[in-house]
Amino acid sequence: MARHFLLTIFFVFTIHGFSQNTAISSNEKLTFTAAYNMSGLMTDLAEVTMETSPVKTSKTTLLKLKCKATTYSKWDSFFKIRDLYESYVNMNSLTPYLHKRDINEGGYYKFMQYKFKHKSNIAESTKRKKAKVGDFYEENKNINIGSNTIDIVTTIYKIRNLDFSQAAPNKVYNFNVLFDNKEFKISVVYKGQETIKTLIGSKACYKLAISVNNSSVLAGKNDNLLWLTADANKIPVFAKFKIPVGNGELKIKSATGLKN
Amino acid sequence: MIMRTLFVVLALISAILSVVLSILPVSNLAFLPAIGALIFGLIAFYLSNKQQKPKHIINLAFLLTILALGLTIYKSVFNTVEVGNIDELEKKEIQSEEEAIEELNDLDLDDVDLQ
Repeated sequence: MARHFLLTIFFVFTIHGFSQNTAISSNEKLTFTAAYNMSGLMTDLAEVTMETSPVKTSKTTLLKLKCKATTYSKWDSFFKIRDLYESYVNMNSLTPYLHKRDINEGGYYKFMQYKFKHKSNIAESTKRKKAKVGDFYEENKNINIGSNTIDIVTTIYKIRNLDFSQAAPNKVYNFNVLFDNKEFKISVVYKGQETIKTLIGSKACYKLAISVNNSSVLAGKNDNLLWLTADANKIPVFAKFKIPVGNGELKIKSATGLKN
Repeated sequence: MIMRTLFVVLALISAILSVVLSILPVSNLAFLPAIGALIFGLIAFYLSNKQQKPKHIINLAFLLTILALGLTIYKSVFNTVEVGNIDELEKKEIQSEEEAIEELNDLDLDDVDLQ
């Protein structure tokens, strides 16, 4: 549960694709409630937001993808979470250039940054953590990555640009995601369509099962499920995740600034 | 005799547990020991009646359970969930974007199509 709270949610959302951006606007905001199963009772624990905004640099305008997780006030004195994940990507292809992750979970702090150099297939990594004694320590590394390796935030948005309308049930997508200086192989299986009730109405959805091949972050093969609306926006409206220490859910609360 | 003592103790422990849980943010969980306390209390009450033993502790367990249930129901009906203080996180977001723009200005973005 601890330490990689938002990561768990990301793995549930994660997928890989090569399509152009047809689903994400530059001022979209999705808000979710994250719930965790406590002795059989699903308890609302935190608010997760996913926002996009345009960011101007000296050379071009990029799309900023921002994900935040914040515990509800009543949990703050027990287990305070303030996670911030950001990616700066190409507006059209969603190719990532810079990824930042700043997590603060129950006193555990970690900062990771990747500068993607796609021409040389290298990611410049910066890690900052609290030292056991003293202040912080920083570690810089160059990591060799594959030509299709992307960061965790970008992959959440890439999923929404995949065309599932023609996909056959049990079609598998394999993905490479750079996380904690390692490449993770993630498998996503298209399970078909389902209509589910959400706070933003009853939605026809694409159902996906997600698993991580070389990590224990997610437990089980078909226990981590994601539902995306079966429309042009492909909004993630519901997710179920199972981790080694329990299971939880992510439910949409609101969606604004949609592209279509 | 032993059965009665056992159920009195179980009722009291469950009642205290439900009070403790009802005060905490996990107040929803208080329902489980509260139901247990009511069941154990009723059995202990029946056995005490049968054996004509005092019921003070059982009454205390019932009182605690009612208190816990009242507090839990009140919290689940009237407490709205809201995000904690995020001032620090908002400051961090602004600072992070400024730093990111500096990093991006230094990056060679020409190796991929920009638009």
